[in-house]
Amino acid sequence: MIDEGLNMFDNILDTYAHSNNLKDMNTNFKVLFGILTMLVSLISTSPIVPFIIAIFMSGLILFKAKIPWKFYLKFLVIPFSFALLTFVFMAIFFGIGTHILELGIFNLAVTEDGFNLGLLVFARVMGGFSCLSFLALTTPMTELFSVLRLIKIPKIVLEIAMLMYRYIFVFLSEAITMYHTQETRLGYSSVKKSIKSLGMLGSNLFIRTWMKGEQSYITMESRCYDGTIKTFKKQRNINTIRNSNLALLVLFEVMLIIGLYFTGSFSVF
Amino acid sequence: MHIMEGFLPWEWCLLWYLISIPVVAYGVIRIKRITDEKPETKPLLAVSGAFMFVLSSLKLPSVTGSCSHPTGNGLGAVLFGPAVASVMAAIVLVFQALLLAHGGLTTLGANIFSMGIVGPVVAWLVFKGIKKIGWGPSIGIFFAALLGNWLTYITTALQLSLAFPIPTFGEAIVKFMVIFAYTQVPLAIAEGLVTVVIFDYIKKRRPDILKKLKVIGPEEEERIEEAGVA
Repeated sequence: MIDEGLNMFDNILDTYAHSNNLKDMNTNFKVLFGILTMLVSLISTSPIVPFIIAIFMSGLILFKAKIPWKFYLKFLVIPFSFALLTFVFMAIFFGIGTHILELGIFNLAVTEDGFNLGLLVFARVMGGFSCLSFLALTTPMTELFSVLRLIKIPKIVLEIAMLMYRYIFVFLSEAITMYHTQETRLGYSSVKKSIKSLGMLGSNLFIRTWMKGEQSYITMESRCYDGTIKTFKKQRNINTIRNSNLALLVLFEVMLIIGLYFTGSFSVF
Repeated sequence: MHIMEGFLPWEWCLLWYLISIPVVAYGVIRIKRITDEKPETKPLLAVSGAFMFVLSSLKLPSVTGSCSHPTGNGLGAVLFGPAVASVMAAIVLVFQALLLAHGGLTTLGANIFSMGIVGPVVAWLVFKGIKKIGWGPSIGIFFAALLGNWLTYITTALQLSLAFPIPTFGEAIVKFMVIFAYTQVPLAIAEGLVTVVIFDYIKKRRPDILKKLKVIGPEEEERIEEAGVA
C-alpha cells in the first residue's frame, strides 16, 4: 500500500524540468503561455477547445521539450483515470434530463445533461492538466522563483520556499531509506504495525529535520547571515520577451478564444 | 484530497482564491514578525515545511483498501498555530502542484481553503478545547489530527457540491459526502493514531524542541512545561 506512495517519487518532475529541450526558453514566456492557456481551458463551456489544448500541449511536451513519451504516458495515467471516473460518475448520477442509456441495474441510467457535464469536466481537467504539466516539466523551480519574485510575492515567503525546496529532496531520500529499513524488518506487515512504523518514521524525520534546520542556521550565521538570503542572479536576458514571440502568443490565445466562441454551444447530445 | 486542475468552474476558483488570500496574507505578516524578531526561526520553518511536504506524500494504510495521505494539518497547526500553518500549507500545495502534479494552480485557492485553513483551524481549536477540559496532550493531538483531517474532506465535499449543485445542492452534497466523508473516517482515525505516535516520540526524545517551538508557535507555556516534564 505504502509502496505506491514512495514509488510516486520516481515520477518527480524536477529531473525533467532541468534537462528538457525547452529549459533555456524564456521563463516568463513559458509561464505566461502556460497560465493563459490554462485559463482559456478553464472558462471553456464546450469540451472541444480544452481537448485541442490538451493535444497541443502534449505535442509541445513530447516533441518540443522531448520528454520521453513513456514517462509522459505513465504520468498521465493518474489524472486520466481520475477524470474518466468523474466522467462516468457524473454521467450516471448528475443528470435530470432524458435517459440516453439504460444500465438495467438499480434503475440507473446515463442522462443527457449528466453526460455533457461529465464530458466538459473531463475535457477541462485534461486541458488544464496538460498546461500544468507543461509548466512543471519544462521549467525548473529555481526559474519559477524568479517569476514569483516578479509578481511581488513577499520576500520572506520566497526565502522560506527556496530553503524548503532544497530540503524536500534531502528528507525524501531519508524517508525512503527509513521506510525500506522498516520494511525489511516487517514493519508494515499489519495495519497496526504500519501505523506504529509510520509514526516512528514521521517523528524520527521530524527530529532529524529539526537538527538540520538548527545546523543550517549555525552555518548561515557563520557566513554572515543577517536575516536575508542573498542569491546570485545570472544576468541572462531571459526575462524580456521578444515582440514577435509575444505577438505569436497573443495570436494563439485569441484563436483559442474565437474557438471558444464558436464551439460554446456545442454538446454531444 | 486535492481538487484537480480544471475541475472547478472559474467562478468558484475565483471565490476560493478571494477567501484564502487574506488568511494566508495574515499568516505571512505573522511569519514576518516572528522571523524579524528571531532570525533563527527561518530555516526551522523551512525544514518544517519540507517535513510537511514529505509527510503528506506518504500514504496511509487503510481498511477500506483505498489509500489516502496524511494531511499533516493536525501536527502543523498544533506545533505552529493555524496562521503559520496555513502559509506553510499554501507553499506545500504550490510545490505539490509543480513537482508532483497533485492538485493544480487554478484550484489552488480551493485547496488552500480546505487543507490550509479549515483543517489547521479545526485542529487548533480542538486541541485547545481538549486542553481546557483537562485531558492529556496525547488525546488532544489525536482528536485534533482526526478532526482536522476529516473536516478537510468534508470541506472538499462541500466545495464540490457547491460547484456542481445538480440537481440540487442538497442532493449533490449527499452524493459527495458518501464518497468522501464515509470513506474518510477510517483514514482520519489512522492519521490521528500516526500523529499521536509522532507527537509522543518527539516528546520523549527531544522535549526541548517542543519547548523551543513557542518561538514559532503561539505562546503555550503550560503545554510546553507539561511536555518538558513528561
